[in-house]
Amino acid sequence: VKRLFAVALGILTAIGGFVDIGDLVANALVGARFGLTLAWATILGVIGICVFAEMSGRVAAVSGRATFDLVRERLGPRMGLANLSASVLVTLLTFCAEIGGVALALELATSVNYLLWVPMVGLAVWLMIWRVRFSILENTFGLLGLALVVFGVALWKLNPDWSDLVHEAVVPRNPQGEGLPTYFYYAIALFGAAMTPYEVFFFSSGGVEERWTRQDVVTSRMNVFIGFPLGGALSLAIAACAALVLLPRGISVDTLGQVGLPVAVAVGKLGLAVAILGFVAATFGAALETGLSCGYSVAQYFGWQWGKYVRPRDAARFHLVVLVCLIVAIGTVLTTVDPITVTEYSLVFSAVALPLTYLPILVIANDPDYMGARVNRRTANVLGTAFLVVIVIASVAAIPLMLATRAGQ
Amino acid sequence: VRWCLVALVLVGLTGCVGPAPTVGQYEGKAAHTAQDALSQLETARLAVENATRMPAAYLETVLVDAEQSFGSVQATFDSIQPPDEPAADALKAALDPLLSDGSDGIVQLRILARRGNRAGMAKVSHDLAATADRLDRFGTEHAG
Repeated sequence: VKRLFAVALGILTAIGGFVDIGDLVANALVGARFGLTLAWATILGVIGICVFAEMSGRVAAVSGRATFDLVRERLGPRMGLANLSASVLVTLLTFCAEIGGVALALELATSVNYLLWVPMVGLAVWLMIWRVRFSILENTFGLLGLALVVFGVALWKLNPDWSDLVHEAVVPRNPQGEGLPTYFYYAIALFGAAMTPYEVFFFSSGGVEERWTRQDVVTSRMNVFIGFPLGGALSLAIAACAALVLLPRGISVDTLGQVGLPVAVAVGKLGLAVAILGFVAATFGAALETGLSCGYSVAQYFGWQWGKYVRPRDAARFHLVVLVCLIVAIGTVLTTVDPITVTEYSLVFSAVALPLTYLPILVIANDPDYMGARVNRRTANVLGTAFLVVIVIASVAAIPLMLATRAGQ
Repeated sequence: VRWCLVALVLVGLTGCVGPAPTVGQYEGKAAHTAQDALSQLETARLAVENATRMPAAYLETVLVDAEQSFGSVQATFDSIQPPDEPAADALKAALDPLLSDGSDGIVQLRILARRGNRAGMAKVSHDLAATADRLDRFGTEHAG
């Protein structure tokens, strides 16, 4: 029963923890502009993250080391440094977006300007990373993030024509008036939102924090193969709500308040309160994950003691990196740069950095020295290679499309 | 490092808005402005129509955001130097009053929301429907 509870808890936290500020903004923005015609990009991204998260979870469970702990050892310091630079920059940008996202969500609840919340959010993030146990962090915010299921309730209460909705989602087309470059620019943003690099850093390092062993491979797979797709379904519900309520009125999403409007229309005050709770939990949980991921990446590259499974004084450099990244993130948001704009750019730059994140996972999961009998099988390799091709195409196309479309305008 | 700097400069440039050198380009920017303005106006109207279905703090935040974004859209359009052509002047003359009406309307909605005057909000929102329609038509007619 205890094991079943652990598996169920893992799946629930995977669902609740899947959505972050990038998913909230990208899905609502695309839903309000393209309807569900870009659902394929989210679905593709969810399958991709499942393929690579399964590998990185398996690496953590079998080797007892996080994937990126092995990158430098397996691929050498140069490749490791390229991987580190790209991943830390993108994760730091995402960290800024998440901190801004928490502050924006608190502004919606209180109408106090989000800039006043930023230092307090930063302090809370630091205190939690420093003092609170890893399992409590992960489970609390993962479970609270489930509040975003209210978007599924809102979709049901909006009583859409389901056959139209499904048809729009499964038959990709470019809506009238939108150029193909813009269509593909947003497809890459959605793909980047689903495959954000920090998710695999956190998943694999989290496996080590929780002391996974070979017996935990099944738990890890259930988290990935059940939790992530259901989290992806939440993303699609957000897009569908925006498509039904915002698109017909010509509303394009550029604030977090607009993301929640369909819930107010469909469910009312209580539903909106639940949605705000979900916004805070999802963004705060992701802020913890991105902050920790910055520390994990740097400490693992340099071979320092890392993690929350040791006392802070024993992993002082790890905590220092997290603190420096936090100060940079708070400073960036306090410049009054729009957190939603930061989010949009973080998604595109995530897409650019994807090959540097995912190629090493594929290499290490194929290495019998680390993986023994748990090395990748043919299906994992075929899927991993196919996704790497997609990832490289998205990575190469992201910046030219951003310039050609003036960031999707 | 050099490539990173080039990439950063290019990214920065994507956010810049330059003067419109031809009537066609000016028309495109005007259409884009109308669509952006419509988005903010409709956001405010949708929020007000559902004022009873959301907490006061949420309504106020949505209206303040819409007001600021609308102001930014209007200021960006005003900053564009129109070409020295009668057609460009006509476009500006057609769009400016719509932007002013929309801006004034959202400000009024924000004031009434803070006062908790739901009847007043409903009336202003109803009156703004005509402005929203005209912005929509302008955006559709002049879009590329």
